[in-house]
Amino acid sequence: MEIKIDGKEVEVCPGETILEVCRRENIPIPTLCYHEAFGGQGACRMCMVEVKEGDCTRMVASCTYPIHQEIEVITMSEKINRVRSTLAMLQYRRAPNSEYIRQLYDTYHVEPMPLALVDPMEKCILCRLCVNACEQMGRNAIAMVRRGIDKKVSTPFDEAADDCIGCMACVQVCPTGAIQVMEEAGKRVIWNKSFDLITCDRCGKPFATRDEIAYMEKKTNLYEYEHLCERCRPKAMAKKMEALNRDNS
Amino acid sequence: MNQALKNNETTRQIMVCCGTGCIANGSRDVYQALCHELANHDGIDVQPVMKATGCNGWCEKGPLVKIMPDDITYCGVKVKDAAEIVDKTLVGGELIKRLLVRDPVTKSYLKSHHDTPFYSKQHKVALRNIGEIDPASIKDYIDRDGYQALIKVLQNMSPGQVIDEVIQSGLRGRGGGGFPTGVKWKSCADTNACPRYIICNGDEGDPGAFMDRSIMEGDPHTVIEGMIICAYGVQASKGFIYVRDEYDLAVIHLSRAVEDARDGGFLGKNILGSGLEFDIELVRGGGAFVCGEETALMASIEGNLGEPRDKYVFPTEKGLWGKPTVINNVETWANVPVILGKGAQDFASVGTAGSKGTKVFSLVGKVVNTGLVEVPMGTSLREIIYDIGGGVLDGRSFKAVQTGGPSGGCIPGSMLNLEVDFDSLTRAGSMMGSGGLIVMDDHTCMVEVARYYVNFLAGESCGKCTPCREGIRALLDILTRICNGDGQIEDLDLMEQIGETMQEASLCALGRTAPNPVLSTMRYFRDEYEAHILDKHCPAGVCPALTEFYIDADICKGCGSCARNCPVDAVSGKKKEPHVIDNSKCIRCGECYRHCKFQAVRIR
Amino acid sequence: MYIDEKELSKKNEYKRIIYSYPGEQRYVLVILQDLQKNFNYIPRLGLQMVAEHAGVPVSKVYSMASFYKALSLSPKGRVAIKVCDGTACHIKSGPVLVDQVYKYLHIKPGETSADGEFSLETVNCLGACALAPVMVVNGKVYGKLTPSSIAGIIKEYGGGTDESSLKE
Repeated sequence: MEIKIDGKEVEVCPGETILEVCRRENIPIPTLCYHEAFGGQGACRMCMVEVKEGDCTRMVASCTYPIHQEIEVITMSEKINRVRSTLAMLQYRRAPNSEYIRQLYDTYHVEPMPLALVDPMEKCILCRLCVNACEQMGRNAIAMVRRGIDKKVSTPFDEAADDCIGCMACVQVCPTGAIQVMEEAGKRVIWNKSFDLITCDRCGKPFATRDEIAYMEKKTNLYEYEHLCERCRPKAMAKKMEALNRDNS
Repeated sequence: MNQALKNNETTRQIMVCCGTGCIANGSRDVYQALCHELANHDGIDVQPVMKATGCNGWCEKGPLVKIMPDDITYCGVKVKDAAEIVDKTLVGGELIKRLLVRDPVTKSYLKSHHDTPFYSKQHKVALRNIGEIDPASIKDYIDRDGYQALIKVLQNMSPGQVIDEVIQSGLRGRGGGGFPTGVKWKSCADTNACPRYIICNGDEGDPGAFMDRSIMEGDPHTVIEGMIICAYGVQASKGFIYVRDEYDLAVIHLSRAVEDARDGGFLGKNILGSGLEFDIELVRGGGAFVCGEETALMASIEGNLGEPRDKYVFPTEKGLWGKPTVINNVETWANVPVILGKGAQDFASVGTAGSKGTKVFSLVGKVVNTGLVEVPMGTSLREIIYDIGGGVLDGRSFKAVQTGGPSGGCIPGSMLNLEVDFDSLTRAGSMMGSGGLIVMDDHTCMVEVARYYVNFLAGESCGKCTPCREGIRALLDILTRICNGDGQIEDLDLMEQIGETMQEASLCALGRTAPNPVLSTMRYFRDEYEAHILDKHCPAGVCPALTEFYIDADICKGCGSCARNCPVDAVSGKKKEPHVIDNSKCIRCGECYRHCKFQAVRIR
Repeated sequence: MYIDEKELSKKNEYKRIIYSYPGEQRYVLVILQDLQKNFNYIPRLGLQMVAEHAGVPVSKVYSMASFYKALSLSPKGRVAIKVCDGTACHIKSGPVLVDQVYKYLHIKPGETSADGEFSLETVNCLGACALAPVMVVNGKVYGKLTPSSIAGIIKEYGGGTDESSLKE
């Protein structure tokens, strides 16, 4: 079926979200809480667009709106811009210590912040990508806790979580660098828990926690004699292949 | 006066109101005392039937005791009155004047509550049985035509006809949004997925609204009957009643009612021999206002966090566990048996063009008669507040009425003639919500009221989406600084800007309506905001930082009422001499202001 | 997760409650409510056991326990004071009652006194608006309160002696 985005006819599959279509068509829509791996959450609301269904026009979150009928989408208007700029202000007020959010604020605003910052040191915008990533890893060590303006991401009782393996999936997915990690003297400290780091058997670089490797081995049922970092692993593979080729010829 | 008490061929019934308001006033003890007196009295031949009923609505006058068929209503009954009621009224056939209501104008004694303006102007549909039956008795419900509509439906109507009848009636959801109920049912029936679910939303959370509580406590079977009728219409097999955690009595009465309905063959397999299979399970809420939002409520039933999701696909298509689900609120369900019993036309003969039937309001705040009232849609605010409610408390002046709870707005005195229905309230910048009407007088600060609602939502928002969570936080901070005297005039534009974004971009209805109390008070009471910001003055004398009470020495008679009622001993003075307030001790509670009969306490 | 001796000794009591429900996610809330009702809070061990029984991660159960107001993660006082802050109570000076409770017991909403005797909460609306302002102490409703009536009520429950108000 076909829909119209900013006046242009676009072919879509029923059930696709507006955002998915726009990404494919290279139509820019700003997002903060969206990640292809997890789908739309509808939390940050930066991706709001206007949708015309029949005679009525309304604003929807493009990341969660599934296309089921012939609609007209407007991705840029004065109203959309107004909403995004207010959201950018609210995000910056919440997480002013994040460079990423600071830049977001600057794209929409020239004037100084009209309100006192909530916490000058805060970086987290509660986009929940970390929680999604942890769930995807199968660990569920962190979750959204409390509610309202006190909502935050945390481990149970704000303590070291039994389920955390220190894999840093949360850190890698975080858009604002909000999750604190300390690595020092063979230890990694994250989410109030300290982990032993394993060094690469080839280059000696610390690359994963002991818990992480144990978890992966148990999950895949593959126990390796050699623990290799992400740089040495492909090299080792290449060497193996080379040897194999040589033997064959 | 005595004639009315004679010729009682039927058994006498003594009904003691055991709604929450009356219980708090000691009605359970009154009930016990009456039972005790009756049991020990020699002069009674036929023992009257004692009934503990649901809330009669007139909580202000509780505990209420009604004697039928004599049709006598006693108000403010105390334990010590029990003996006299038995002796004088039941045996002697005499009325006890002291316990009767007096007409506010003529001051004459009124024998029955039906004669009072509070009741005579009401039109009871959803509340038809409440106060008349013992909610724990399915027999009482059946005696008043209960389950007759269901029998009629199962015997004479097809599922499609049931849905058409509800569409014809024009019934709109009483929980807030006002979505046409029949249309909702039809869209569920039109899907081809199974199983289908039915939910009763009893997570009433609007502060100042308690009509759903009253129905669940006082007439639980009507909710159940409504749900079974819908189950037949949309061919659903399972229903859930989600009850607010704080409502203990409602849970007790509903559980009992579900069991009795099951025993009576109204629930379970092959209901009344029709082949319909449907059962109901009770779910207790966890104490979260946001769970009144239907997608959050469903998430909560599923055992997830009560966070809403975008409703671009309606619950009627993908609801509970991804299956088609009809969800309506308690008052809506209570209307259903009436519509099917008496017919859509009868129901639609009351109300306005766009809003049919009646609406229950909880009339509270600074009004003489507080309680629940049910009136036809289109009744004016003036009729509700003045004719039924008896006007503003203590003869003070009316300032505003808040409707729709934290999602609604404040309507000023200039709009008292507004005929209340779903659409008129929305046009006025407020909304129907679940039907709370909170009357505010000149001693209510509108800025502080806006701050109160935003503060309420700051703790009750689920915190998932940015515009709601951060928007509420920003509004709260701005309103707090205005109330503290640190506001700037630019704050008003800023709140409008944030409010607009919250309305446009929030995920669920809670967030989209959250700025309403702020925007509506800014619209109608801008002068109060300006007084706080520019003059550093709270005209209502509420905001502590901007208020100072003083006693006008020329007016003060030295009666000492202010000093007696001051909780912090900030008022001093000799008897019959002008008193003085020590502002370093004063906590600005306004007790002196309220208690002064001479208006000598002033606000600076 | 650290579990203290006291909770370990009650393991069987928790078990009895938790296993009276099927081990499915949809029963998590009602099990937690049952634990709350029996122990006045959600014990850490109980929380862990619920997660295991229902097959839900501990973090998710904790998330729920911190989300719903009916559940508390720390023990509540013997005397639970709830001051209604519904709209009707609010505009009839309900907030002053909270200040008065603080004056006598030195606890703010959400807090429990050091001796574990009293805890104070504000609640949204008890539906007793006709009696505003309202306060509920261990289930008993006190209506039409004035700021000066608080001292007497607290005294009924053995609190707010002269000694404690002297601490101000």
